[in-house]
Amino acid sequence: MTLELSRVAAQVRAMGEELASREQKYADLVELARRWLAEYADQGERLRHPARALRAAIPTGEPLDAVYPLPDVPARFTVVAADGSQVQPDRHGAALYYLINVGSLVYRHGSGEAPAAHSEPALGYAEADVYEGGRLVAGNLLDVRRDLAEITRLADLCAAEPPGPTVALVDGTLILWVLEGHDQEWPRAKVTAHLEQVHRIRQAGAAVAAFTSRPRRTEVTRLAYLAGLDGDANRASREPNPLEHLPDRAVFEMLPPGARSALFVSPPPMDHSTPPQADDMDRVYFCYLNVAAGGHDPVIARIEFPAWVAASPDMSALVHGAIVAQARITGDYPYALARADELAYISAQEREAFEAMITTALLRAGLRSALSPKAYYKTLTRQGRRKHRV
Amino acid sequence: MSNGNLRVGRVLRASTRGFAIGCAVMQPDIPAFGSFVRAEGQRPGSAIYGLIYDVSVEDDPFVRQLISAELREEDQEVVVRDHRQNRQVPVEVSVLAVGCGDGTAIRHCLPAQPPITLDWLYQCTPEEVRAFTTRLDYVRLVLEAREVPADELLAASLRAAAAARPEAERETFLVEAGRELARMLAGDPVRLEGLLRRLCS
Repeated sequence: MTLELSRVAAQVRAMGEELASREQKYADLVELARRWLAEYADQGERLRHPARALRAAIPTGEPLDAVYPLPDVPARFTVVAADGSQVQPDRHGAALYYLINVGSLVYRHGSGEAPAAHSEPALGYAEADVYEGGRLVAGNLLDVRRDLAEITRLADLCAAEPPGPTVALVDGTLILWVLEGHDQEWPRAKVTAHLEQVHRIRQAGAAVAAFTSRPRRTEVTRLAYLAGLDGDANRASREPNPLEHLPDRAVFEMLPPGARSALFVSPPPMDHSTPPQADDMDRVYFCYLNVAAGGHDPVIARIEFPAWVAASPDMSALVHGAIVAQARITGDYPYALARADELAYISAQEREAFEAMITTALLRAGLRSALSPKAYYKTLTRQGRRKHRV
Repeated sequence: MSNGNLRVGRVLRASTRGFAIGCAVMQPDIPAFGSFVRAEGQRPGSAIYGLIYDVSVEDDPFVRQLISAELREEDQEVVVRDHRQNRQVPVEVSVLAVGCGDGTAIRHCLPAQPPITLDWLYQCTPEEVRAFTTRLDYVRLVLEAREVPADELLAASLRAAAAARPEAERETFLVEAGRELARMLAGDPVRLEGLLRRLCS
C-alpha cells in the first residue's frame, strides 16, 4: 500500500468538520438568496442587463421565484439519449491513436418495446486524425470531438424516429466548451458544427435538453446577489458576494417533487466562440428541477435547452415531464442517460483487450510495437497480485 | 465438430478440475444444471467434457438500484425487456470436468490441460451424450468431486443421458446406471438409496 491512510486521517477528520460548518453557513445563505429572489421576483426585466454584465443568470419573463408543477406527458413519447467516452492518445503506448465510443438508447415510453441500445466506436489513427493544427488531439480537443460525436448521434437517431413527441437528452451541458484553439476561428468552427447538429434535431421535430446531476453552477445565486443590490452591477462586481460559492441547487431544494424553477438564460461563454450565424434561438435556457418522487429527499438537477424549446410551451413541458419520468425509473437519474453511459463506457479490461488487438494488428502488418520503457514498468508495478480461483 | 452445436458461453477461468463460463443471457435451453457440455481442447480435434453443476446470476448494482427504486407499473415492461434483451446480464456457469476426447476415443478422466480463456463452450448433442455415456466411469469422478452437489448432479446427468436415448432404451439405461451405482456405493447404502430415489424421480 503506497497511500498511508494513517498519515491522511487527521486531514480527513478536519475536512469533515469544515464541511459540516460550511453546511450550517450555507443554510443561512440559502435563506438570504431565497428572500432576495422573492423580493425581486417581478423585477426580471430590470435585472436583465446588469445580469448579463455580471455573467449571472439572465431573467426571462417568468418570476424569479416561480415554481411550476410537474406537467402531464403524452401516453406515448420517446427519449433518445447519447453519451460518449474516450481513450486518450498515449505516447507511451504501442501506437498513437484515440478511441471514441458513443453509447445511445432510444426509450419509447408507453410502447412496451425493448429500448434500442447501440454503441458506436470510432478509432482515430491517421495523422490527420490524431493531429489538429499541429497539436495532438487529446484533452479538450478530444472532448470536443466526443461531444460532437454525441450530438451527431442524437441528431441521427432523432432523424430516424417516426413523428411523435421526442426528447433528445445529453449528459452535462448543451454549451460546447472549446478551451483550446490555434486561432479564434477554430472554436467558432467547432461551435458551428455543434449547432448544426442541434438544428438537425430541431428539424426532426424533437426537443433537445441537457441534464446535469448535482450541479455546482452559481448563476442564479449571483443573480440573487445582484437583486439584493437593487441591480447595481458596478457595486456587485466591486463588493464581495456572500453567495459566491453557494450553488444554485441549494436555493432550489424547496421545489416540490417533480416541480421546476423559473427559466433563466445562461450567460454566453466568455471565449467568443459563439459563431456570428448563431441567433437568439440558439441561446441556452436553463431551470432547476426536483426529479425525486414524493416522500423522498429532493434531488435537484439542472436542465438546459435551446431558446426554441423554451419558446414552445408544449416542448418545454415535454422536456420537463420526460426527464422526471426517466429519472423516476432509477430513482434520481434519467434511465436512458445511465444506459447510454453504460453503453459508452470503456472498462479497463476492454481497453486492455483493445490494446492487445492493436498489437496483433501491427504484428500482422509487419510492425514490431512495444510500450515505452516507462509504460512497461508501470504494467509491472501497478498490476498487483493476481488471484486464481476456479 | 462444433458446427450446429449450441454455444453456452465463453471460458472465464479454468483448471483441469473444471471451468467457469460467462454467458450474456439465460436462454430457455441453456445453460441447465446437469447438462453435458464440451470445450475444444488444445490439440486439434480434442475435446474436454464436463457437467454444468452451477448456474448463477452475478450481482449487478444497476439492477439492485432499480429494485430499490421500485419500478413503476408503466416502466416495468420496457425496463425488464431492456435488461433481458440488451444488457449483458452476467450469468456465470460452473462446469465440472469429467472426461476428454482426442477425436477418436473418449476417456472418463480429468483432462491433461484445461480450456483457455475465451474458448467457446458448447452443449453436447444427443449423439455426443450417448457416445460419452456408453460407459459410466465418469460417475466416480462426480461422486468424488468436492464443492459440487454431487448426488444431485449425478442424478441430473444420468436423467439427461437417458433423455438423449430413444424412448425404448431409456429404462434399460437407467437400470444399468443404477446397477453401476450399486457397485460403487456398496459400502454406503444410505447414499445409494438417496441417489436411486433421485434417479427415479
